[in-house]
Amino acid sequence: MDVMEGNVGLLFPVVLPVAAGVSVLLHKGFWRNRGRLMAMVLGTLLLEAGLVFLALSGGGSLLLWQLTKEVPLVLAVDGVSRLFALLTAAVWLLVGIYSVSYMKHEREEHRFFGFYLIVLGVLIGLDFSANLVTMYIFYELMTLTSLPLVLHERTKEAVAAGLKYLFYSVAGAFLALFGIFFLLEACGSQVFTPGGVTVGAPGQEGLLLAAVFCILAGFGAKAGMFPLHGWLPTAHPVAPAPASAVLSGVITKSGVLAVLRVVYYVVGPQILRGTWVQHVWILLTLVTVFMGSMLAYKEPVLKKRLAYSTVSQVSYVLFGLSMLQPQAFVGALAHVVFHSLIKNALFLCAGGIIVATGSTRVAQMRGLGEKMPLLLGCYTVASLALVGIPPMSGFVSKWYLSLGALASGTGTWAWMGPVVLLVSALLTAGYLLPLTIQGFFPGAEAGKEENGEKIPEGLTGQTGKIRISAWMMVPVFVLALGALWFGCFPGALIAMLEKIASGVL
Amino acid sequence: MGTEVRSLEIPGLCGQGLYFAVDGFRLVYLVIAAFMWGVSGIFSLEYMAHYGKRKRYYLFFWVTFLATAGVFLSADFMTTFIFFEIMSFTSYVWVAFDEKEESLRAAETYLAVAVIGGMVMLMGLFLLYDLCQSLAFGRVAEVAEEILAGGGVSQKGAGAACALGSPRRQLYVAGGLLLFGFGAKAGCFPLHIWLPKAHPVAPAPASALLSGILTKAGVFGIIVVSCGMFRQDPAWGLGMALLGLTTMFVGALLALFSVNLKRTLACSSVSQIGFIVTGIGMGGLLRAAGEDGGLAVRGALLHMVNHSLFKLVLFLCAAAVFMNLHQLGLNEIRGFGRKKPFLMFCFMMGALGIGGVPLWSGYVSKTLLHESIVEYASVAACPAFWHGAEWVFLISGGMTVAYMAKLFFALFVERHPARQAEFDAMSGRYMRIPSGLALASAAILLPLLGMTAHGSMDPLADMGQAFFGQAGQGHKIAYFSAANLKGSLISLAIGLLLYVAVVRGLLMGREDGGRRHGLPGAGTGEPGLCYLDRWPSWLDLEQLLYRPLLLVVLPGIGGAVCGFLDRFLVPAAVTVFLSVSAVLCRAMDQMADFVVRAARRTTHSQIPWVADSRRQKTASEGFFPAIIRRVRTKRDELGKRLLGMEEALQRNGRLVEESFSFGLMLFAVGLCLTLGYLLMVFVRQ
Repeated sequence: MDVMEGNVGLLFPVVLPVAAGVSVLLHKGFWRNRGRLMAMVLGTLLLEAGLVFLALSGGGSLLLWQLTKEVPLVLAVDGVSRLFALLTAAVWLLVGIYSVSYMKHEREEHRFFGFYLIVLGVLIGLDFSANLVTMYIFYELMTLTSLPLVLHERTKEAVAAGLKYLFYSVAGAFLALFGIFFLLEACGSQVFTPGGVTVGAPGQEGLLLAAVFCILAGFGAKAGMFPLHGWLPTAHPVAPAPASAVLSGVITKSGVLAVLRVVYYVVGPQILRGTWVQHVWILLTLVTVFMGSMLAYKEPVLKKRLAYSTVSQVSYVLFGLSMLQPQAFVGALAHVVFHSLIKNALFLCAGGIIVATGSTRVAQMRGLGEKMPLLLGCYTVASLALVGIPPMSGFVSKWYLSLGALASGTGTWAWMGPVVLLVSALLTAGYLLPLTIQGFFPGAEAGKEENGEKIPEGLTGQTGKIRISAWMMVPVFVLALGALWFGCFPGALIAMLEKIASGVL
Repeated sequence: MGTEVRSLEIPGLCGQGLYFAVDGFRLVYLVIAAFMWGVSGIFSLEYMAHYGKRKRYYLFFWVTFLATAGVFLSADFMTTFIFFEIMSFTSYVWVAFDEKEESLRAAETYLAVAVIGGMVMLMGLFLLYDLCQSLAFGRVAEVAEEILAGGGVSQKGAGAACALGSPRRQLYVAGGLLLFGFGAKAGCFPLHIWLPKAHPVAPAPASALLSGILTKAGVFGIIVVSCGMFRQDPAWGLGMALLGLTTMFVGALLALFSVNLKRTLACSSVSQIGFIVTGIGMGGLLRAAGEDGGLAVRGALLHMVNHSLFKLVLFLCAAAVFMNLHQLGLNEIRGFGRKKPFLMFCFMMGALGIGGVPLWSGYVSKTLLHESIVEYASVAACPAFWHGAEWVFLISGGMTVAYMAKLFFALFVERHPARQAEFDAMSGRYMRIPSGLALASAAILLPLLGMTAHGSMDPLADMGQAFFGQAGQGHKIAYFSAANLKGSLISLAIGLLLYVAVVRGLLMGREDGGRRHGLPGAGTGEPGLCYLDRWPSWLDLEQLLYRPLLLVVLPGIGGAVCGFLDRFLVPAAVTVFLSVSAVLCRAMDQMADFVVRAARRTTHSQIPWVADSRRQKTASEGFFPAIIRRVRTKRDELGKRLLGMEEALQRNGRLVEESFSFGLMLFAVGLCLTLGYLLMVFVRQ
């Protein structure tokens, strides 16, 4: 049995944060010194970014363990893992910097940071996985290690939300596991190969499709796809802001990654094209897109609104993948990056607002623009990017998604998809922009009675600016800048994604 | 002259690259934009002096200029769209600027129209790109021509993967969606709702720009679509002409009924945009009929230019009024203009221009438009209809004269019942010199252009018409011939008639109306005539249709459905699943019980005390002694007790074990007996 063959460099970025996280959890006394803990966390995150970069430039693969004779655990690097790993490492670093200041307001920081680091290692492992079983193991690990982030506050709601998160994730994963068992039979090898490895399961086409559908629905739970989206709006509002940010921005994307790997690297898009699985999948994503936006539009609590928004936006990505068309594929992956930046920026803004003012509902934030102009400015840029107003980044992904859909030859879906995306964009404007508008244009009537209903005074009564720490402001600013930058200069990213797309489709 | 095209490409920026071009029309509009922004900018210095947050105003003022310039210079739809969206969002700040309740509400309408228009336009762009694989104006026009001419699938593979089935249908849908988006910004009926709301509340120099040039950015898009994609399409031309006629009539009617200075001007903008769109439509119709569309196109172009200048002048006059009185209602401001000859001169230039009075520039463009309708009526299949259209045109022109007369008389002729002395005292210091100069520079252009029509306006039209897809010079027209003067005079006559009959007769009334409108002097002074708002308040498309639809009906239905899906579907599915499986499992669980029960009713029915045995079993007694004792002592009660026990036992799973063990025991007993019998038989033999 061969163990540890190939580029050992791939292992370091997985092991380092896990080791660091475990050490934080085990030696509470040693890390009680806050300065020491922060230095260690930030050092690990920086080192991790470097290690990920080295591993990616090294490339190759690494055999970890031979689970059984047919099922090895392998790490490898390809275009998709490059994209996801870089994104994860970068976002984790930025959110880590933000947490330095934010977590001061929370109890038991070391537990948060311990699990924060462990999840990073697991996610990098997930990104580097080279076959289905390896991926599944890291996927389950990710669920379990990210659970404490949701549970962090240990209030009754947090525990309930954590359990909901756990149940949805585990239910989804087991649904997927059935499919994986079947594919193990049908495909023989489950090594990720661009374009898929299924040679077909003669006589069992129906079962194969059913298995794929189970996988889609199962991994879709993590990506917040209807009908297993329920955990998102419950879990995000109770978690601390940095945890919500990474849950929403990155961890939901691991569901996308799993779906992508199965459809484009194991089963093969040509097997699904035109089948009922594709049609149902498209329908589910579109329902999710609309539903998430609509519920976000009706939601008064900011963080919950953002969580529903995530439900909707991640399904933009899944919609792109479900089209099985190169341009839509490019749009989907671009949206992975953009939504990650944007949603992290938005959640971090929400966290900043909550820390600075204690307000959680949008109606309480009237007049924010005078108190925190820079933060609200960043929020506005990110919002416009999410709506897809050019020249912000969301526009680019929407463009590719819609054109891909129109060219996909899926009949009614071809034009229905873009229509739903645009209606959802309209709703997105409807639920994100009021904060900006009431923030910068509070109006004179705040605090007065109108039709027997009091217009919330919000923050208009206070004077002077509210300052928040640079540790929090800088990551938000960088993320918002990223959302703008990629909208203006998407060329390099799009070229990279097109290269991936040409391999799989 | 000036038709040379220079272009600039910035590939890669914003994904698809940005493409700009400069030709005659764009140059004209760039100059106009710069001029308007310059004049409003100078005027703003005084107008905005008393406001807070001026930095915000100026920042967005100039960013909007850049975005608008970007729209006018764009050479592909993507570039247009990008700058169009930027323009919409930055000009939002103008409308919401003073943060009053009505401003915020108007800004909300403005933003909603802009965002919805933008999204609809984007859908059009998707479809168009899918069809043409390019969004460059030239390429799109080529493909569209090919599709409309061939009627089938285009040869260059463009129609191969057509999302809507037939390329022709897709082209029309795309064009319609683009028209919706651009028309919303231009203020075409029925999307004109934002203009009468947004213009009155925005700072007046900004209103001048909103009305004078931002609407023209929408018109720019309409021109590209109509004169590029559907250059010779009769159906499209007819649609545009009808849209234009409706818009011009509705806008003029709204303006006539309005009792607010800036609102009147805003509604007037809607109406004038209708004139322009009519011109664009007539151009298409004339070309489709094989005629030369030159008249219509040049009319539309010149009317665009004229209208920009009119509205600059008129809104700046309104700004001068508002700066001093902070009011815009006609009843409150009337008489303000008395003894202010400079203001009167400027306002009069604008009013005469927009009314189409000969020697002012509006006359030239309106004459061209009028002539184009007359020309088409002579070749059209249904001349009666087009004569009707001509009358709509003339009546709309008449209404223009009537509402401008209403404003003019209100401001400069009538007296304010209470504050006239106060107004007159302001005569020397109502406007600073730089603002006055800026205003005068714009006002003086109107008669200047009108009087030198052949020298100034014809070359302007020559420069710009290539953009409208019009090549030749067209036939020259003698603007001041009797036939052309006649049209204008009819309009003027209608206008004066309307003013006397409708405005003085219907729209003005006695004191009670004045009190209702909060006229300060109404209670104290002599009961005077005042302007009444006779427009039925319920007849407002936005309140009647759009707001209920967008804010109540759609979110209500969508929210209810989604809320159901979100909150109830999964729990319901889980509940159903749990209950179904519970029932199934219970059934499977009791399958064995069923066998036992069936057995007890049939084969084992004669030994009912079995059931009782478990209960009576104690540590001290053995199984059989207990049975014997029970049988001996309580034989009679057994039957009754058993009935009561049975239900309790059914719930008890151990019954099954015991029954089976009893059965097993019986089986063993039976086996022993059988074996004994066999042994006996065997021994006997």
